[in-house]
Amino acid sequence: MGVGKLYLLAYNLAQLAGWAVALYRLGDHVIATRSLEGAYTVAGDVVGWFQLASALEILHAALGLVGGSPLTALMQWAGRSNVLFGVVAAVPEVQNRTAVGAMFLAWALSEVIRYPWYAATLAGACPHWLTWLRYTAFIGLYPVGVLGEMKSVFDALPFIRARGLRSLALPNAANWGFDYHTFLVVLLCLYPFLWFRLYSFLFRQRRKRLGAPAGAAGSKKQA
Amino acid sequence: MAVKLQIKSRSGRDILPDGLLLPSNATVEELRARFAELKPKYPPSRQRFTLPPREGARSGEALANGKRLSDYGLADGSVLYFKDLGPQIGYATVFFWEYLGPLLVYPLFYLAPRLLYPGLKAPEKSVVQNLALAYWSFHYVKRLLETAFVHKFSHATMPVFNLLKNCAYYWMFAAYVAYFVNHPLYTPPPTRRAVIALAAAMLCQFANFRCHVILANLRPAGTKGYVVPRGFLFNFITCPNYTAEILGWVCFTVATQTAAAGLFTLVGAAQMAQWAIGKHARLRKTFDGQEGREKYPRRWIMLPPFF
Repeated sequence: MGVGKLYLLAYNLAQLAGWAVALYRLGDHVIATRSLEGAYTVAGDVVGWFQLASALEILHAALGLVGGSPLTALMQWAGRSNVLFGVVAAVPEVQNRTAVGAMFLAWALSEVIRYPWYAATLAGACPHWLTWLRYTAFIGLYPVGVLGEMKSVFDALPFIRARGLRSLALPNAANWGFDYHTFLVVLLCLYPFLWFRLYSFLFRQRRKRLGAPAGAAGSKKQA
Repeated sequence: MAVKLQIKSRSGRDILPDGLLLPSNATVEELRARFAELKPKYPPSRQRFTLPPREGARSGEALANGKRLSDYGLADGSVLYFKDLGPQIGYATVFFWEYLGPLLVYPLFYLAPRLLYPGLKAPEKSVVQNLALAYWSFHYVKRLLETAFVHKFSHATMPVFNLLKNCAYYWMFAAYVAYFVNHPLYTPPPTRRAVIALAAAMLCQFANFRCHVILANLRPAGTKGYVVPRGFLFNFITCPNYTAEILGWVCFTVATQTAAAGLFTLVGAAQMAQWAIGKHARLRKTFDGQEGREKYPRRWIMLPPFF
């Protein structure tokens, strides 16, 4: 196995470890409190670090180490990072709400399936059930994740507006202004379209991949 | 001598069960015309025919207008794959609508501050803002006139969806830049700097225009092949029209000292760079110095001294 592949294998396993820890903490907390509230306190730091680290995936695509468009990878990373670091991290009042808890859980469950699938495919030893899981779990997890993201942002809007968070007012030397509140509202309007495109893409991938013999297509393409 | 071609979809389905009968020396245009007669839903501009792919390749070579069936070695029973390119629209039409937007949208922000900046008191416009309006308007009028009288388009059409996409890009960016340059709280740079920068921008516009004229006259009337561009900046750069355009926008950004204009410049430059790389590669591939063809000279792609 080449250096590139070994590195990717290590990367995928590291991400798996991180998200497994996040999932464990979340699961433990949900069972103990019987609610999705307070997720940020128990898992916010882990999720933050590993979400940040996943920016590497943009680099991987740009370098051709993995298939797929770097632009798509950038958009996906930016979307989640905007919600996590841009919005939730800045507004303590929404951090421990149910929406964030649902979002974290959906993310963690998706990632502990996605990263092992990448790793196994790289190693050329991906069992069919893992492929099935990777291309089936998203059907339920994606909508939950996206709704959680949108609700979290929506809940944070009044605070962002009142505090002028992450916004730049005129006049200034660059003659540039940025109103985070307006930006987020526009983004929320676009979310259903952007997300639907990704969702249908995964369905198409599902049709292509499921039914293929176990471990066969050890291809570079990562969806 | 007549040949009967099998026309299939890329999934292998036979599109014309009786095949397509043509003389073997028929042109690709004649093939398209005949296909359109049998399948009126697909006018020639919507048709794309490819040869069967070579071993390992995903798709075969596409049939180009101006060539003959015999040029591709098409014989009786040969297979051609058909792809529907979707509803098409003329290049000139798209250019007209995408350039008209900025010409209308920008002045709107200049002229109607009470409407577009509600609640803000609009002071008298600075000299810089007046000059910026004049320059911007001149730029897009120039583009419209070039579309009508200068440009010669090698492809007649593009997919209709591009009209929406291109107009969205131009119109939204025009609004974005215009919003900040004409904002009641806009702070102009020193007038002298802006005047010099816009004068430089105008020089870039003239250079860009001259490049467009050279490109329009590149091919002798009726011919279709690539020609090595020569003269003016073409002696050093493959796409100097883009060079001049980008530098023009850099000057506009300096003149207005507006980050939004800088962003517009960057995004435009990135797109033009992509096109320039493709153009440069095509020219180098066509003029490879083999078999009596000339060799494409060493030139910058678009932005000396970077690339």
